Amino acid sequence: MIDTLSYLCIGVGIFFWFWGTLPLVGDRSVLFKLHSLSVADTLGSMSIVVGLLLKIPREWPLLVLALISLAIWNTVLGYVLAYCSSGGGD
Amino acid sequence: MIGYLDLLLRLTIWFLLTADLSLANIIIGVAVALLLPRRYTAPAVLKDGLRVLGEIIVAIPQAYFEAFEIILRPHNEEDIVMERVKPQRTPGLIFLDIFLITFTPKTIVLKYHEHGWYEVHRVLRRKNK
Amino acid sequence: MNWILLATIAALLIPIYEAWQDENIWQTMLAFSSIASKTSIMILIVSVLRDDWTLGVVGVIILSVGNAALMLLAHIIRRTNEL
Repeated sequence: MIDTLSYLCIGVGIFFWFWGTLPLVGDRSVLFKLHSLSVADTLGSMSIVVGLLLKIPREWPLLVLALISLAIWNTVLGYVLAYCSSGGGD
Repeated sequence: MIGYLDLLLRLTIWFLLTADLSLANIIIGVAVALLLPRRYTAPAVLKDGLRVLGEIIVAIPQAYFEAFEIILRPHNEEDIVMERVKPQRTPGLIFLDIFLITFTPKTIVLKYHEHGWYEVHRVLRRKNK
Repeated sequence: MNWILLATIAALLIPIYEAWQDENIWQTMLAFSSIASKTSIMILIVSVLRDDWTLGVVGVIILSVGNAALMLLAHIIRRTNEL
């Protein structure tokens, strides 16, 4: 049961990765790609880590830390990239 | 008194990283958390802290919901809107707002204007236009 | 478990290709940020796969230090663009 759930989480994560990363090759604006990358790299990776967490609950402190830092850093990097690529300044 | 939420955050990170609840480790953690330099900004209130926690917990399922929404129905339009900052926000809460807006996949904060405006970039479905 | 690793490697190829073929610096930066987070997740997957937690600690440290270098680089590029 737990095993299926963990594979499901990892599967969803990998699907998000592909869905969000494929638009990177296309010809859209940086900001549009940033939206799909936040699906892939933040939400997809978070779901993969949750899947791993279900597989090995023994190491939960490390994986929870990974989850938190993943969410914060990826989001902040998204903001910084959006700010800088749109000209920044004031 | 000042910034004990800050202290709590450091201790949480320390214990998650070391995963060790022995007395020696607790002493080291508390000492490091106290010794690290910190900025003296306006003290955060506990009520704010609880609300922040609540908002983050709500934001995670919402982010996944929005992700499925843009996967199932492609959003191809993009535009930029200005959003007003809610009044009386401390810098910590403004950071949290920016974090939450950027965390959900449909919206990204481009810029925070000093006079209390966020510049938000969103993706939309064509139909809405 | 091996198929997971193969799938992540395949996903990793996309941003690498993009970083190679696009001339625009911001598109390249996007590709780099994607590569950074994907590789650190891959480290975690490998550590679970081999049940080797020294590897896992490395992955978690990389994740918690974060993409600070990329943020600094983004600011530097913005400033040089202004000049």
